[in-house]
Amino acid sequence: METALAEETFLDDNFLRQLMSVGEVDLLVGIPSHNNAKSIGQTVTTIEECFQQNFVRDRVVIVNVDGGSRDGTSDVVLNTPLPKSQNQRGLSSLRTSHRIATRYANQPSRGAAYRAILAAADLLQAKACAIISPETSNFTAAWVRGLLQPAYRENFDFVAPLYSRHKNDGLLARNLLYPMGRAVFGRRIRELNSGELGFSGRLAGHCQNLDVWREESIRTSPEAWMATTAISSGFRCCQSFLGPKVHSLTSSGTDIVTAVRQTVGTLFWCLESQQSFWMERSGSEAVPTFGPEHELSSEPVRVNRKRIFDLFLSGAAELSNVLKSILSPETHAELQRIATEDDRKFRYRDELWVSTLCEFAASYHHATIDRDHLIQALVPLYRGRIFSFLQEHHDSSPEDIEAHSENLCLEFERQKPYLVERWKAK
Amino acid sequence: MAGSAESLWYKDAIIYQLHVRTFCDSNGDGIGDFPGLIQKLDYLQELGVNAIWLLPFFPSPLRDDGYDISDYKAVHPSYGVLEDLKTFLAAAHDRGMRIIIELVLNHTSDQHSWFQESRSSRENPKRDWYVWRDTDDHYQGVRIIFVDTERSNWAWDPLSKSYYWHRFFSHQPDLNYDNPAVFEAMWDVMKFWLELGVDGFRLDAVPYLVEREGTSCENLPETHAIIRELRRRVDQEYPGKMLLAEANQWPSDVRSYFGDSDEFHMAFHFPLMPRMFMSVQLEDRKPIVEILEQTPQIPDGCQWCLFLRNHDELTLEMVTDVERDYMYDEYAKDKGMRINLGIRRRLSPMMDNDRWRIQLLNGMLMSMPGTPIIYYGDEIGMGDNVYLGDRNGVRTPMQWNGGWNAGFSAADPERLYSAVISNPVYGYQAINVESQRRSQHSLLSWMKRIIHVRKTSRVLSRGSIEFLKPSNHRVLAYVRQLGNEKILVVNNLSKAAQAVELDLHQYKGSIPIEMFGGNLFPRIGDLYYLLTLGPYQFFWFRLRRI
Repeated sequence: METALAEETFLDDNFLRQLMSVGEVDLLVGIPSHNNAKSIGQTVTTIEECFQQNFVRDRVVIVNVDGGSRDGTSDVVLNTPLPKSQNQRGLSSLRTSHRIATRYANQPSRGAAYRAILAAADLLQAKACAIISPETSNFTAAWVRGLLQPAYRENFDFVAPLYSRHKNDGLLARNLLYPMGRAVFGRRIRELNSGELGFSGRLAGHCQNLDVWREESIRTSPEAWMATTAISSGFRCCQSFLGPKVHSLTSSGTDIVTAVRQTVGTLFWCLESQQSFWMERSGSEAVPTFGPEHELSSEPVRVNRKRIFDLFLSGAAELSNVLKSILSPETHAELQRIATEDDRKFRYRDELWVSTLCEFAASYHHATIDRDHLIQALVPLYRGRIFSFLQEHHDSSPEDIEAHSENLCLEFERQKPYLVERWKAK
Repeated sequence: MAGSAESLWYKDAIIYQLHVRTFCDSNGDGIGDFPGLIQKLDYLQELGVNAIWLLPFFPSPLRDDGYDISDYKAVHPSYGVLEDLKTFLAAAHDRGMRIIIELVLNHTSDQHSWFQESRSSRENPKRDWYVWRDTDDHYQGVRIIFVDTERSNWAWDPLSKSYYWHRFFSHQPDLNYDNPAVFEAMWDVMKFWLELGVDGFRLDAVPYLVEREGTSCENLPETHAIIRELRRRVDQEYPGKMLLAEANQWPSDVRSYFGDSDEFHMAFHFPLMPRMFMSVQLEDRKPIVEILEQTPQIPDGCQWCLFLRNHDELTLEMVTDVERDYMYDEYAKDKGMRINLGIRRRLSPMMDNDRWRIQLLNGMLMSMPGTPIIYYGDEIGMGDNVYLGDRNGVRTPMQWNGGWNAGFSAADPERLYSAVISNPVYGYQAINVESQRRSQHSLLSWMKRIIHVRKTSRVLSRGSIEFLKPSNHRVLAYVRQLGNEKILVVNNLSKAAQAVELDLHQYKGSIPIEMFGGNLFPRIGDLYYLLTLGPYQFFWFRLRRI
């Protein structure tokens, strides 16, 4: 049902007419939305401020792609007034300010939203684009500039954000997506799966024309797919430091199961679809970074560690047979052993964690079980890993955290041949 | 013709601005003159203009191209004698053309006998004809207009050992209008020329007539009182004559110079002009629409004057800093093209000699609300020479043909008051009246046609304007209306072809008739009216109900 709706509505006549009116642009900022009426007005205002401060001569457009909001989100986008002019004569910017709003489907789908934005970027021949999440409550005009400028002025094609995070925030990225993505694809991009990113019109056109939009992984988590596609297709990638990331109180948040299913599922799908690129590579390269490479914030993030550990234990026990079909005997045995440890001594070591993920990835490739079930089976193990991380780094300094991250990345790179071996095994 | 009582003639005028010195030299001294200008009146009549604005031709040391006047009631000997001017006036009037001359109210040359007397001693009867002070700390904070050459609005006079006020060059001391004798003297000057038969005055630098401490010394109530009195006397004794204000201000500030139809008849719309250039370069109608929507209504008997270029730099005083930077970067990349706060280039070089862009700008000039002014030479696409210093690069000899001195003068080239433009693109061999007269497809022929079409309807000269705002921002569309008559104007500001859908539902049932070819377009119905335009193309449609 959703597929049919997405196909029918993603480039409807009204959207096309709006694109025709705007014509060629230099910069495009896309805002995917779903029931964001309370926050999206400020998002639009901030983007307009960025345009006025940094890109006053350029042809710009804001494209809101909405997944069936019932709260008038798109109306807010179109009707938010321009920021007050600093000019005492009331003369505003040089150029007409453009905003487009379209409904791509009656239910939200990040993939369909991205597809609409990429199509707009392609048709409008945008040179540089950014996608901004209306659920990030603290984003600033500098963020927008940070995402657009590398593509617009420095000729990069993919701009991944960098955030200042508390050590307990972004754990999925720190423990899985970044180190595994880095080892497999050979580029040190920390945030593969962020709600904000930048890209060039070239990359937009390339991605838009790939026949992947029906894939479930793309529909749920297109960000990681764009990043890995940029890497594997030879586009220039970089990172841009934006600052602390704060989610709005009204954001729905994503539970851990859904987060793992979407992000890891997409990452594994990318491994599957781009295996010809990563199999023969080893090691990793840094990508140019605008701003600091990493920064830890002091804003605390509360986590319920006991609950995490309990869920690890129960999950590992309930899914023992499933895990047996995915993991090597050695890895499975080791997991069973550490599950018996006291929570104060519990450690899910880097080596074991990396082996776990390599074996999961290979099993995904071989489809030993239903792939969605396979990803879900990873969730309790991920919880165990997170609990271990929190235990180990309760009092760690930012330098210690960063050193640990680097060690984990190197462990992934060290075990990449093992991944390849498992992948190729019959 | 002379003495015609059609009092609103200036609304329907197409004004041609020229300097006598630049137009045609009859006596071989290398300087244009009135007899030479008379020889070219047929050309101007053929072009279709019906008013000529003459830049200053009075005796002057010529340190500011004649705006430094040393005798208000004579003709500079280089341009002829008073009798020549009278002959010219009669010849112009015979051809249905009105003549507008300059009146520099604000200041004189320091060589004028009034100033020479004023400075001679503090007891001289004309001492108080100028603004003297013992120190230069009066009127603090008042902006300097010629920022490239002047550091202060005060200049020290060693003879009278005091400072005199000057808003322009230091050799142009400001007259003191707090002295009634000054007003009467200038009224006497005006009467002199009105008696000779001139049809109007462009009053130079009017915002600066009066100074008061603690103010910007611009646009003061006392200044308006002076203008009102001048206007009252002109209307009473010389009805049908016109006063045109040169007030380089924001539209809301210029509005006051129309008064209640008791000050100026016309005023230049300075802020619109750079925005026309901006809009074409940006390919966005926003600058034009924004400034015109900010422009206040003016009394029925009054009219804006519109222009693309003139003898001065393209002024960027009435734009924002962002807009100024943009204009400099787009139109004056070479810093030698910039002077004061403006750009000293002609229309065609600014348009990179793109015929379509030149036509588009002229199309907007002729169709927006106001009286259009054509700067001499722009009708054939003359070029400029930014290396001649000051603003002399846009004041080079008129290019009549590809022969000796471009047909401007029989003198040796070294004697010309200025070299003719001679580069391969804009040089007189390539750009001249005679060549363009031969072709129906030349810019000159096109200008004649558009002037002719403009004059077929008073809607364009006297009508209202309502902007249509189609979703395609690259299209500037508006409807001009006078009574029941309507003209739809659609301009493509882009170098690429454009499609535009216009909401014309209030004109449903009307038939658009394209005004240049007379062809019928589909009747306006219920749906949005779709038009497609080529690069820089524009349409003028008369909307007929039949």
